[in-house]
Amino acid sequence: MRGSADLLGAYRPGGSPIHRVPLGVKAATVVVLSLTLLILRSLPLLGTALILILGMYAAARLLQESWRPLKVMWPVLLLLGAFQAWSNGPAAALLVVGNIVACVAAARLLILTTPPQELLDGLVALARPLRFLGADPERFGLTLALMMRSIPFLLDSAQEVRHSAMARGLERNPRALTVPVVIRAVAYAQQTGDALAARGIGEAAGSPGPGPGPGQVNP
Amino acid sequence: MHPWTAGTGLPYSLWNFYEMRPDEHSPRRPRALPRHPRTARGRWTAADLSLIAVFAALVAAYSLLPGIPLGAGVPITLQTLAVMLAGIILGPGRGAAAVGLFLLAGLAGIPVFSGFTGGLGVLAGPSAGYLLAFVPAAFAVGLLSRLVLRRTRRARLPLLFAAAMGASFITVHPLGITGLMINAKLDFPAALAADMAFWPGDVLKNFLAAVVGVSVFTAFPRLAAKGR
Repeated sequence: MRGSADLLGAYRPGGSPIHRVPLGVKAATVVVLSLTLLILRSLPLLGTALILILGMYAAARLLQESWRPLKVMWPVLLLLGAFQAWSNGPAAALLVVGNIVACVAAARLLILTTPPQELLDGLVALARPLRFLGADPERFGLTLALMMRSIPFLLDSAQEVRHSAMARGLERNPRALTVPVVIRAVAYAQQTGDALAARGIGEAAGSPGPGPGPGQVNP
Repeated sequence: MHPWTAGTGLPYSLWNFYEMRPDEHSPRRPRALPRHPRTARGRWTAADLSLIAVFAALVAAYSLLPGIPLGAGVPITLQTLAVMLAGIILGPGRGAAAVGLFLLAGLAGIPVFSGFTGGLGVLAGPSAGYLLAFVPAAFAVGLLSRLVLRRTRRARLPLLFAAAMGASFITVHPLGITGLMINAKLDFPAALAADMAFWPGDVLKNFLAAVVGVSVFTAFPRLAAKGR
C-alpha cells in the first residue's frame, strides 16, 4: 500500500549539524526567515536567503533534495511568473515566484531533517502553553495519534472500494466511490471510540465517569 | 412607594407586576442544561475525539489520493468534499476541530497535504487562502446543516446541498481570493478569474457531499440527532 510507506514522510535520517539543531530553533528560523522575505519583499534579500538556504541544504548533505518541491510546483509557478511578468514586469515576477520557492524550500528542509514523531511531539508541546485557555495537550496528542493511525486504514479502504466499484463497472460513479468509504470511516470511528471509552482513555478530566458511548445521544 | 408610581394612584405592586417577566410567575423550573453539552470546550468524550480524528484522517486521505475521473476525464480531488462532510456529519464544533487537526498536522510538516507536501511552506504558496478557509468552511456548513437537520426530515438532500454551497461562498472563495491577492500578488479581477475556475468542481463536490451526508445519516441516524 503506497500510503503507509509515504506517510513516513520526507524524513532523511542523518547526523549533520542541521539534523542536530533542536526542532524549536529550526521552526523559529523558518518562521522568521519566511516572514522577513514576505514582508520586506526585496530582490537582494531574496538572493541572500536563497544562497543561505542552499548552504543549509548542503550542510545537511541534502543538496539533491533542494529542487524536489519544484518538480510538483512548476506548472503553478510558471503560470504565476508569466502572469506577473506580463502585468507587473520581470522583477515582480522573480520576487513573487522566488519568495514562494524560498519559503517552501526552507520549510521542507525542516521536514527533511526531523523525524515525523518529533514533529508530532513538537505540535503537542505547542498546545502546552495554551492550557490556561482550556487546551488539553494529552487529549490533543491522543487525537493526533488516532488521526495518524486512521490514515492508512482509510487509504486502504478507499482503494478497496475503488476496486469493487471497478468490478461493477462503476469506476466513474462518484457516489459508488465515496459513500462506502465514509460509512466505513464512521463505523471505524465508533468502534475506536467504544474501545477508548471501555478503557477510560480520552475522557475529559472533569467528567463524572465513562462518557456516553455512541449508543446515547445526550447524557 | 416606587418613584414611577408616585402620583399615579396605582399601588407599587401593580407596576411591579407589569415589569415582571412571564417566567417569574410560573413555579421555578430547574435550570435547563446547556443545549450542547458535548460540544462545549473540553467536554468532548472519547467517542467525539475518535470521530474528530477519523474525519481529520479522511481529509488527509482524500488529499493524498489521486482524484476520481469525472465526465471529460478531468480528475477531481476530493479534499474539499471531505472538509464539507466533516461539517455536515459532525456539526460545527467537531467538524471544525477535525479540519483544524488536519491543517495543524500538515503545517507541522506531516505530509498530509496534496502531493505529499507539507509544512509551513504552503502558507507562502498561492493556495494558502483555500487551505486556511477549510476550518471556517467546516464550521459554517456544520451550523447550516444543523439548522437543516433540526427543522426537517424531508428534502434533506437539496437543503444540505444549499448549506454546502452557502458555506463555500461565504468562506472558501472569499478567503481563497484573498490568499491569491496576498501571496500571488494578483489584483482582484485576476484573483476572481482564477477562483472562478474552481466553481464547477465546487458545485459537483458540494452536491456529492450532500448525497454522501444523506446516506451517512440513513446508516447512522444518531449522528443526525439533536445532541450533535
